[in-house]
Amino acid sequence: MTPLSNAKVLVTGATGFIGGRLAERLIVEHGARVRALVRNFGRAARLARFPIELVQGDLCSPESIERAVEGCDYVFHCAYGSDGQDEARRVVNAQGTRHVLDAALKHRVRRVVHTSTVTVYGNTPDGPLDESAPRRKTGFAYGDSKIEAEETALGYVGRGLSVAVVQPTVVYGPFGTTFTIKPLQLLKSGRVILVNGGDGLANLVYVDDVVSGMILAALVEGAHGEAFILSGSEPTTWRAFYAAHESMLGRSATVSMTPEEALKHFHGSDGARAGMVSQLMKALRHPGVRKRIAETREGQLAIRAFHRLPAGLRARISGPGVSLPGATTTATDIAPAIHPLHPSKIAFMTAKTHARIDKARRVLGFAPQFDFTRGIDLTAAWAEWANLL
Amino acid sequence: MRPIRVGVIGAGAAAEGIHLPALARTAGVETVAIADPSADRLEYVADKFKVPARYRSHQDVIPHIDAAIVGIPHQYHAPVTIDLLRAGVHVLVEKPMALSTAECDAMIRASESSGARLAVGLLRRFAPTLRYTKQVLESGMLGPIRSFDVREGMIFRWPVKSAAMFSPQCGGVLADIGTHVIDLLLWWFGDVAGLDYRDDAAGGVEADAVLKVEMAGGITGRVELSRTRDLRNSCIIRGERGTIEVGTKTDSIVTLTPVHGDASLSGRAVLPGQQPPGNLGDLFAWQMADFVRAIQTHSAPAVTGTEARRSVAVLESCYRRRQRLVFPFETLLDAAASEKAS
Repeated sequence: MTPLSNAKVLVTGATGFIGGRLAERLIVEHGARVRALVRNFGRAARLARFPIELVQGDLCSPESIERAVEGCDYVFHCAYGSDGQDEARRVVNAQGTRHVLDAALKHRVRRVVHTSTVTVYGNTPDGPLDESAPRRKTGFAYGDSKIEAEETALGYVGRGLSVAVVQPTVVYGPFGTTFTIKPLQLLKSGRVILVNGGDGLANLVYVDDVVSGMILAALVEGAHGEAFILSGSEPTTWRAFYAAHESMLGRSATVSMTPEEALKHFHGSDGARAGMVSQLMKALRHPGVRKRIAETREGQLAIRAFHRLPAGLRARISGPGVSLPGATTTATDIAPAIHPLHPSKIAFMTAKTHARIDKARRVLGFAPQFDFTRGIDLTAAWAEWANLL
Repeated sequence: MRPIRVGVIGAGAAAEGIHLPALARTAGVETVAIADPSADRLEYVADKFKVPARYRSHQDVIPHIDAAIVGIPHQYHAPVTIDLLRAGVHVLVEKPMALSTAECDAMIRASESSGARLAVGLLRRFAPTLRYTKQVLESGMLGPIRSFDVREGMIFRWPVKSAAMFSPQCGGVLADIGTHVIDLLLWWFGDVAGLDYRDDAAGGVEADAVLKVEMAGGITGRVELSRTRDLRNSCIIRGERGTIEVGTKTDSIVTLTPVHGDASLSGRAVLPGQQPPGNLGDLFAWQMADFVRAIQTHSAPAVTGTEARRSVAVLESCYRRRQRLVFPFETLLDAAASEKAS
């Protein structure tokens, strides 16, 4: 039995990485009655494994949020704007958070845990970072709108709603997109830039540690009105982070650059203000995209036209037929392209910031259980199972 | 000949994406009505395909139709199909035919007593490459067959319109995709003699499943199914004289490799006078044409209720013997779950 046993808990963003794992653990470990706010049921396959209430709703629709919040003891707000243009994402992050908190206030929810991010501190300097640091805008929609959302959330503290804010750092682990699937995809499809050889500090945190911190933030009395950085016990380097993923894949695919070189590479590559054609070509290299195009009527015509080509030409474009292993030149003989690194990421990978978790330890009793080795081992086991290696 | 008046039961993603487009391409039919309890979906889909009559219940459609296409959550397949068959309406019901053999038997009886045709949407049987595989196996080209290995999984993106598909009564990836795979195995290799089935459902519906089977002829194999992972989506069959790998999806490539050989032959299979299917829609159109043929000629459809019942029997047996699938990457959840179990 835990204080969450049989409690009614709403999780927004439950079809996502952190929210999904949180929902699972609330059900399995705590026996909570979880309601998940779902925008797109097609993404709910993982959640549907559990006894869970799936309710349709959208952060932009206050009515749907109110229906979802009604009757809940706790709300974990994990959803954020992940598609569309910057402005649309900003609206979801800022206004969506307001809708959740308004409903929570109205329905007397015991506590709302708002999921923010360490990105609210902007481009952080070298050295220790704690929650007393100023929130700094960087001009990029994600971080800037998360500052707005966090301010909105903490603004309800004086209005009689109990709110705690968590600020996870670099979250990785099974089903992680930005810092698990993406690095693997980048390393597989080209070379990844390590700024200054990957000397910068990566404040990594395994997803289960974040979830444990969030649950504590919901239950610990003193968390009310406070924000907590949630990171692993010790930072590691980006070099170690990428080396671990290279070792999962059994290939080296990193290249060291100074921040200036990385910036120059970005502006010289198709990453900067990419033209439509180069982006299209890039998209076409994705097997999933190819498959979908091949299934269209036009794609079928192209395939049929391809089959009418002389056999020699067809073989050169590479198609089904008799193939002898090792007889042809393959794409791997050519050095893979270097993925451009967005300027916001260059600063992020250069900094030797050490995100401190002293406050979370002291107030919440937060104690990360997964050091880098253990977290990466589990991630590698998942990646293999997920057919990503 | 007067066109067959068809009613579409269910205005979900299947009706919109598959059934109505296939009907629009089929000669000899007229789509006259559609039924769905959700008013919004009903109006939207009916407007999109210009279906004149709209009803909230399948019962109300019965007087206006000769045949029906049933695409609704799995747990309603049997009761709705039985109502239609008893009223003399021919039915093409989506797979799985039902979730128990008892339901299948009732459906078959209803069809037999009214004389209405019952066809089941196991459309992979129409895919030329999968038919070719059956013919290769039967020809003995590969020698005696030893084993098979199926992996089929896609990160779930089916544009479901409600949570109905995830209700515990509906079954998960085994009932949904697994039915197709099991049907292929039964069609290719004969009956199942023994099985070991594991999945990850924990009070809901499974997203990942692993099935180990032994067929009556002694062939053994493994089936891995997933809604959370992109897998190779193929079946590898190993015989004494060679190996065949066939994509389990509809428009797939088949690859033949002789034993000890270092070259493979791969390509698409075609049927006489027919282009290879361009996409899923083509196969549905072929299936629809077969259903129409069965009605017009008073003969059996390509996949009858009796044939489809075989895969339901395996499905039922899997769920009955279900064991928990333990993931290599779970620690906290595994520990918590085993604590609860003990």
